[in-house]
Amino acid sequence: MPHLTIDNREVEVPAGATILEAAEMLGIDIPTLCFSRQCEPSTSCLVCLVKVMPGGRMAPACATVVSEGMCVESETEAVHAIRRTTLELLLSDHLGDCVAPCSFGCPAQMNIPQMLRQIAVGQLREALITVKADIALPAVLGRICPAPCEKVCRRGHLDKPVAICELKRIVADVDLASSSPYRPECEPASGKRVAIVGGGPAGLAAAYYLTQHGHACTIFDDNEELGGMLGRDIPEAKLPREVLRREIEQLLRVGIEVKTGTRIGRDVSFDELRARHDAVVIAVGWTAAEQAPPWGLGVSGGGIAVKHRTYETNVSGVFAAGNALRGHGTVAIRSIADAKEAAVAVDQFLAGRTVAGVHPPFTTRIGKMEHDELVALAAETSQAARGAGTMYSWSASGVEIADAAEQAARCLHCDCRALATCRLRQYAAMYHADPRRFKAARRHYEQDIRHADVLFEPGKCIDCGLCVQITAAGGEALGLTYIGRGFDVRIGVPLGHSAAEALTKVAAECVAACPTAAIAWKTNLLTKSEENA
Amino acid sequence: MNDLDLQFVDETVERLGRRAEAVIPILQAIQTHYRYLPREAMERVCTLTEITRATIAGVSTFYTQFRHHPVGEHIISVCHGTACHVKGSELVHDALERHLGISPGGDTDAQGLFTVQKVACLGCCTLAPVIQIDKVTYGNLNSHSVGEAVEAFLGQDQHGRPSELAAVAHEGPLGEIRVGLGSCCVAQGSAQVREVILRTLAATGAAAVVKQVGCVGMCHQTPLLELIPPGGGPAKVFAHVQAENAREIVLSEFAPQGFWRRMTYRAGGWLDRMLSDERPNAAIDRALDVRDRPVCAFLGPQRRVATEYCGQIDPTDLDEYLHHDGFKALRHCLEKLSPEQIIEQVQAAGLRGRGGAGFPTGQKWAATRASASDKKYVICNGDEGDPGAFMDRMLLESFPYRVIEGMAIAAKAVGADEGILYIRAEYPLAVTRIREALHKLEDRGLLGDRLLSTDFRLHLSVKEGAGAFVCGEETALLASLEGRRGMPRLRPPYPAESGLWGRPTSVNNVETYAMVPWIFRNGAAAFALLGTEKSKGTKVFALAGKIVRGGLIEVPMGITVRQIVEDIGGGVADGRTFKAVQIGGPSGGCVPAELADTPVDFEALSAVGAIMGSGGMVVLDDRDCMVDMARYFLRFTQDQSCGKCTLCRVGTRRMREILDRICCGQGRKGDLEMLEQLSVTVGAGSICGLGRTAPNPVLSTLRYFRAEYEAHLAGRCPAGRCKELIAYRVNDACIGCTLCAQKCPSDAIPMTPYVRHEIDMAKCTRCDTCRQVCPTKAVYVE
Repeated sequence: MPHLTIDNREVEVPAGATILEAAEMLGIDIPTLCFSRQCEPSTSCLVCLVKVMPGGRMAPACATVVSEGMCVESETEAVHAIRRTTLELLLSDHLGDCVAPCSFGCPAQMNIPQMLRQIAVGQLREALITVKADIALPAVLGRICPAPCEKVCRRGHLDKPVAICELKRIVADVDLASSSPYRPECEPASGKRVAIVGGGPAGLAAAYYLTQHGHACTIFDDNEELGGMLGRDIPEAKLPREVLRREIEQLLRVGIEVKTGTRIGRDVSFDELRARHDAVVIAVGWTAAEQAPPWGLGVSGGGIAVKHRTYETNVSGVFAAGNALRGHGTVAIRSIADAKEAAVAVDQFLAGRTVAGVHPPFTTRIGKMEHDELVALAAETSQAARGAGTMYSWSASGVEIADAAEQAARCLHCDCRALATCRLRQYAAMYHADPRRFKAARRHYEQDIRHADVLFEPGKCIDCGLCVQITAAGGEALGLTYIGRGFDVRIGVPLGHSAAEALTKVAAECVAACPTAAIAWKTNLLTKSEENA
Repeated sequence: MNDLDLQFVDETVERLGRRAEAVIPILQAIQTHYRYLPREAMERVCTLTEITRATIAGVSTFYTQFRHHPVGEHIISVCHGTACHVKGSELVHDALERHLGISPGGDTDAQGLFTVQKVACLGCCTLAPVIQIDKVTYGNLNSHSVGEAVEAFLGQDQHGRPSELAAVAHEGPLGEIRVGLGSCCVAQGSAQVREVILRTLAATGAAAVVKQVGCVGMCHQTPLLELIPPGGGPAKVFAHVQAENAREIVLSEFAPQGFWRRMTYRAGGWLDRMLSDERPNAAIDRALDVRDRPVCAFLGPQRRVATEYCGQIDPTDLDEYLHHDGFKALRHCLEKLSPEQIIEQVQAAGLRGRGGAGFPTGQKWAATRASASDKKYVICNGDEGDPGAFMDRMLLESFPYRVIEGMAIAAKAVGADEGILYIRAEYPLAVTRIREALHKLEDRGLLGDRLLSTDFRLHLSVKEGAGAFVCGEETALLASLEGRRGMPRLRPPYPAESGLWGRPTSVNNVETYAMVPWIFRNGAAAFALLGTEKSKGTKVFALAGKIVRGGLIEVPMGITVRQIVEDIGGGVADGRTFKAVQIGGPSGGCVPAELADTPVDFEALSAVGAIMGSGGMVVLDDRDCMVDMARYFLRFTQDQSCGKCTLCRVGTRRMREILDRICCGQGRKGDLEMLEQLSVTVGAGSICGLGRTAPNPVLSTLRYFRAEYEAHLAGRCPAGRCKELIAYRVNDACIGCTLCAQKCPSDAIPMTPYVRHEIDMAKCTRCDTCRQVCPTKAVYVE
């Protein structure tokens, strides 16, 4: 029974055990991508490299058998640097978007492809839940948003972008018109109280998300009507007040207290407000610069000064979001996005955790695609036209919903189908790998759609070879193999056959083992919680 | 192709077997027959054998030998070995494609006559740049003359191959005419020379036999002819002999005395090049004073161990090998020594593996011996893949029995009864010679069930590689032998514990085996007397590049790089300045001129950033760009990476891209630092020797020639080598002969008779033709 130390912690392991197994016994997490218990170690990914003393050589933990007296270094900066470089090299040759361009282009980073997949299969309720996870007022935004998502929609490079904004509105309209519109579950009451100053889009969104976190929220607005600029500055023809009123009402049903006609500094002093609440969110719109100085809040660039990402002002427990930061009007989606992010920071503050705000999600990006690549990508999507102008009334009929499904099916699904399970992404984020460090010409995009259930995207493959072993062991008549050599090596189906013929028995095992989304189920309607896991 | 006749596939499978490990030989046979691998043929193989479609697809796309598309009638292989590279193989390749009208991205001409392919190294480094058309090799080419080679090939092709002629039987003492028939000699025309001699002898009845000998080492003088008069007497050596003057030479020697003397003075030009009358260099003079010594001994500083009797014995003649004490060492080992004693002797000699890393051979054998198993193997690693190295080819071609004898001794020592010689497919002559040798040895009881009438049993066979440099790595070689993709695996376990088919296996390099018989005939102490404290014996090097006398040399360890370059090699050619020696190929590094006094010693070479390697030595002069050299090797290793582990597969690619942009003048700030960081990471983390050593050429050039990298970042190539950073100009020496304008393939030079020409750099492709053809040397690079 040999002994070894890993990061100066000693452990005794059974003869023949690997460093990886020894690390598991110590509870040290050594990352692996190409390792699977059911297969022989292939030592291909090399993210499990550790430094082995004596000698100081770097060795893959997954396949290096422990010998007596070994001293292994795993959690040191030198080892992490090599793992980071290895991950960055893998990312430099990993052809895929973790997050779709539309989501990336959306200020609220809404999971648009998921919404579209849900609409496409008629799951309108689920689609609305997806929408409201990031956009508090979708019926409103569905009418007034300039839709930056559609400007970057990849479908637009092929013909016309998917009518994302319109579809979002339909989902919201259908929900509002239903007998029981969606009301999210809230976490148990935290006992904390939050004052939201201002009932415009930012204030409403902040209150909506903070309430879901279990905090008791009160919106203070000096007007009699909530909605702020939405009700004042936007023509009725564009945003019927009926829609605005009904969507705000539904939003408030989550359990938000409202004090309209109440002006902070006149009816309630700012100090009193602070005293009565555990946190304050200022969402008073573009006039904030005038109101803030008496409250002791710093001003810069015409609005209230806040810290990057956390929306914290110079006064502890006081946050600001929306146009209050800018001193001028901007699109409502920006205000709503701000408020959603600020809510995360406020929640961190109230829970006594480090206030870090929301970090942008880790993503690799394909960038511009060639026409033939887009054609390939669009092979299994609806070839319907985009449709022109406003397609639907706000209480959509069954026919219109079918049209919506068709429209949603135009989505190219640029996002990753294995976002929740991709270990490459997980470790890349963990080791702060920069996917653009080794920028290089990318491969040509290809996909094999001939399998009924599995999508095979070789560009996402990291050549771990697990599927090659699994298909061979699983008795697939054809299976998968390495094709080519060196940098050009790709996992592929032998002799020009299709993935449908290659994966007749062990498709599920291959999907489960694939460390990225090279082999993935075609349908993957993730729920929000899975995605965040 | 539905009507493809698959009868051949059925027969091949019948002949080569149905087991999975037969996949490479089967594919090789199919390709030889159909000239590529038709998909239907591969499918057929899978239905007939245990070989799966996953295996056949994986294997057939791993090895560069295999082609998946039909090819032209003739294959032209353009050598991109190191020596060829520094002498302009890329320009030759471009010119060849232009000559044949091959469109960019394509590889075959419109008529389907020629397919052009890049090969890593043809192992004819002293003739660089080299191309091979089917089996005919053409050397010393340039962008101007490569087209002529193609036309010459087409001419000889029409006339057919010369027939074999036998010498007339004689009574009485016979003279001997020795002709070198190593691959390089053949490439220089020695086969035709031999043909003419045979004809001459047949026609005149001159009293001589023609004897083919192996490589004579003096590649810079080939084809070489050595004439030994009837009844002995001083031998005469002729260099650069061509078919047209071979007849005269033969008649001069084997005709009445006196005629010879007349010929000597009369024959003029070609005799001027006779070795004795030129090269007033010390190294040559010393040796040539002793006229009766074999031609090979002319290089004084050399010591023959692996290449003993070089140029004297017929490689295929077993009796002659036996006559020169062949198999005495094996007999001694079988009859007098225990396996442990054999290993002790090898350890006492201090023999270290000659494949590159220098692992102590005795230790390797002892480990294999110590592994308990009822079945063990010995393997001869003849997958010499370093561009710029051809020692192993030469040893296999010239001394097949010696290599086999060494291998048999190893087998006895480790307890193996089966062995395989793995030889790269690019060395057809070596494969043929070894096969022949094995047959003869089995017939004579020198191999087989009862070796030399003892109860020692040993069966040897040959397996051909299929074009993968990485198979020189022992675990990859074993994978290849088992019929898999040649992907290395993590060691330990070492092959000595778990090798071929999981059995203990001792894998040794060709040259290592070739050293072994000498050690047992002359004693371990005699071997250990040669060399340095930790590096014993001799080392064979392929000396090539910008040097006066290139060739195959064997020197005692401890000799300095300078002695090799200046004394043996005669210094740098064409009056240029000696800049560096690249030692160890893609795993090695450059020893700069100022460190030329470094001794040839495993540790000393590592200390200066090079490695002993397998023995390629390419001399560089001031016209060689060190960044370009680094890029050249990175391209090679990146191309040869098996693709298994991330750091090598992607890391070397990214390194190459950085070097590419530096060479194009598009380097960025921070590139050198990134290159260094990647080099260190790839070197530290890769799984096998290929990846671990791949950054060496970069690190070594960064260490000694960083200023050149910085010059490239500033948009200058000081050596005038990197195409994108240079310009061709014409100076006042131009007489307006229009030759350059006529020859320019891109119409970049307007024809202006009697007036100084000018080159339009916008159209110029930097093919170098104008500079080569200019009679007044008016074209220069800026």
